[in-house]
Amino acid sequence: MDTEKPSQPHGANYGAAGNFSPDAVAASMQRGDGGFGRDQETYFDHPILRKAHWRWEIITYFFVGGAAAASAALAAFADLYGEERDAELVRNGRYTALAGSLVSAALLVKDLGRPERFLNMLRIFKLKSPMSVGVYALVSFSTVAGFAALDQARADGIIGWNPFGWFPKRVRIGILAVSAAFMACYTGVLLSATAIPVWYTGRRHIPPIFVLSGVSTACAAQNALLALFGGSPRTAKKVETIALIASLAEAALLLDWERRAGDAATPVFTGKRGSRLKTYTLGLGIALPALLNLSSVLSRKTPEKHHRLRTILTSSLALFGGYVLRETVVYAGRDSADDPRAYLRHPE
Amino acid sequence: MERVADGVVTESAMGFFTDVTLCIGCKACEVACKQWNQLPSDGYALTGNSYDNTSRLSSTTWRHVAFVEQMDREVPAASRWMMMSDVCKHCTNAGCLEACPTGAIVRNEFDDVYVQPDVCNGCGYCVPSCPFGVVAVQQNTGVAQKCTLCYDRQKDGMEPACAKSCPTDSILFGRVDELRVKAEARVANLRAQGKDVRLYGVDGEETRNVGPLNAFFLIPDRPEVFNLPPKPVLPSRFQPAAYTAGLLAALAMTAVGIGVFRGFGERA
Repeated sequence: MDTEKPSQPHGANYGAAGNFSPDAVAASMQRGDGGFGRDQETYFDHPILRKAHWRWEIITYFFVGGAAAASAALAAFADLYGEERDAELVRNGRYTALAGSLVSAALLVKDLGRPERFLNMLRIFKLKSPMSVGVYALVSFSTVAGFAALDQARADGIIGWNPFGWFPKRVRIGILAVSAAFMACYTGVLLSATAIPVWYTGRRHIPPIFVLSGVSTACAAQNALLALFGGSPRTAKKVETIALIASLAEAALLLDWERRAGDAATPVFTGKRGSRLKTYTLGLGIALPALLNLSSVLSRKTPEKHHRLRTILTSSLALFGGYVLRETVVYAGRDSADDPRAYLRHPE
Repeated sequence: MERVADGVVTESAMGFFTDVTLCIGCKACEVACKQWNQLPSDGYALTGNSYDNTSRLSSTTWRHVAFVEQMDREVPAASRWMMMSDVCKHCTNAGCLEACPTGAIVRNEFDDVYVQPDVCNGCGYCVPSCPFGVVAVQQNTGVAQKCTLCYDRQKDGMEPACAKSCPTDSILFGRVDELRVKAEARVANLRAQGKDVRLYGVDGEETRNVGPLNAFFLIPDRPEVFNLPPKPVLPSRFQPAAYTAGLLAALAMTAVGIGVFRGFGERA
C-alpha cells in the first residue's frame, strides 16, 4: 500500500525553490540568484503523478497469469495438432493452466485494499478499463481451464465423473483462445493505459513483450515438467522450438523499445534496475537458454532422452528472467511517476 | 449549461474557480476540508519547502496549498511569493473514472467525479490513471479517496467547506459557466493592470485530452510552477495501440505454435 505520509522532499532545499537538477543549478550560478530564478521547472521536485502501489503480488500475478495462459495454449496446440506422444504435454499444460489461474486469482484478491469486495469488479463490465477487461479474462480463462483440467482428470482416472463433461469442447477451445490471448496481453495494456510516462510511451512494446515472455516462460515450465515426469523428447523439442522463437522475438522487442523510447525508458534500461534486466532477463533468461537449446532445435535428430540437468537449468533461468522482466517494468513505473520532469518531457 | 461527459447529461455543472492571485496561504481550506470530511492527520513533518508541509494532494489531504517562492536578487521588488490551493480537477474526461473496474467512481448529478466509498475495493488502478496525481488509496480504509467536491454539503444546498472557509474568496464555488464568466472578467482586469495571468482548465492546451476542468485555476505563471501538468494525458487513449500490439503478438505466437506442432507431425 502507498504509505500516505507527505512525501519527503529531496533533501532540505530550503529557499532554493527546488531547482536541483544540474542544469538548473548551473543556470542559477550564471544568473547569480542562488536558485531563486523565474525559470522554475517544477514545484520543489515534487512528483506530479502518483505511483501505483503494486508490489510482489501483482508482479507475480503478471508472471503466473501470462505463463498459465500460454501453458493452456500449448496444451491446446498439442491436443489439436500434435501427435499421440504429446499427451504428456496436454496433461501438464491443462493442470498447470488451472493451477496458475487459481494462484493468479488469489494474488489479485490479496492485492486489493478491500479483498472482501473482489466481486464488486464483476458488477459491471467496462471495455474502457483494462482492469475490468482483465478480470473478465481471468474469470473466463479459469473457468475453461477448469473444464479442461476436469476432462483431463476424468481421462486420467483421477475422478470418475466430470460434472462439466457436457460442455462442448469446441466452445471451450473458442473461449480459451480468446481469454488466453487477453490474459497474456492485458497486463501490458494495464500498464500502458496509465498516466505514467515510462509505461504509456512503451505502449507499443510492453504488451507484446509480456505476451512473448508469457510464452517463453510457459515453454520453460512445460519443458521442465516434461523432463521431470518423463514426457517424450520429441515433444520437448517442439516446445523448445516455440520457446526459442518467442524468446528471441522478446529480446528483439526489448532492444527495440530501448532504442526507440530513448530517455523515456531510462527507468527500465539504466541503473541497477537496467543492469538487472539485462543480466537476468536478456542474458541468463534469454540468450543463454537460446544458445543451449539452439543446437538441439537445429539438429535433425531427436534425442533419445532428456538432458534433464540442462533442461532444469535453462528452464529455471528463463523463468527467473521472466519474473525479473515484470518486476523491472512494474517498478520502473515508480521512478517514472516520481520524476516530474519525465511527465513534462514526454507529453504523449 | 449542458455538457455531455461520460454519457451523462447535466444541466448545471458545479465546480471551483481558484484564483492564485488572491490566495494568502492561510490554509483555512485545508483545515476546513479535513474537519468536514473527518480526514486523519498527516503528521507533523516539516519539509523546509517554504510554508508547505503537506507537499501534495493525497488520500487524506483533499485541498493542498502550494507556496511558490520566486525571489529576484537584481530587482528585489520583482520578487513574489505565490500561494495556490490545489484540489481534484473533476475532469470532463476523467482518467480515474474510466479506469475504475468496479464502477465505484461515478459522475454525480452535479457533474463532479465522486468515489463511492462503499463500492471501491481498493484495486488502486485509478491512482496511476489520474493525469494530475490526485486520487490515492488510503491504508486505513483500504479504498481510493479524493475530493468529493463536498457532495454531501452540495446535496443540502451548501457550498463546499473549503470555499466556505476561504477568507479572500480565492476559492469560489458555483455553476461552472457562471464561474467562467467571473474568471474571464478577472483575467481581463488583471491584464489591464499589466499582469501576466492565464486560466488553467478552461480552454487551453491542458484541456486537449482531459477536457475542460470543473475545478479550474487562475495562475500567474506556467502550470508546472504550481505542479500542474501543462499537457495532462488521458490514459484510455493509449489502449488501442497497446491492445493492437499485444493481440498481434498473441496471434503471431498462435501461428507459431500451430505451425510447430503441425510441421513436426508432417515430418514424422
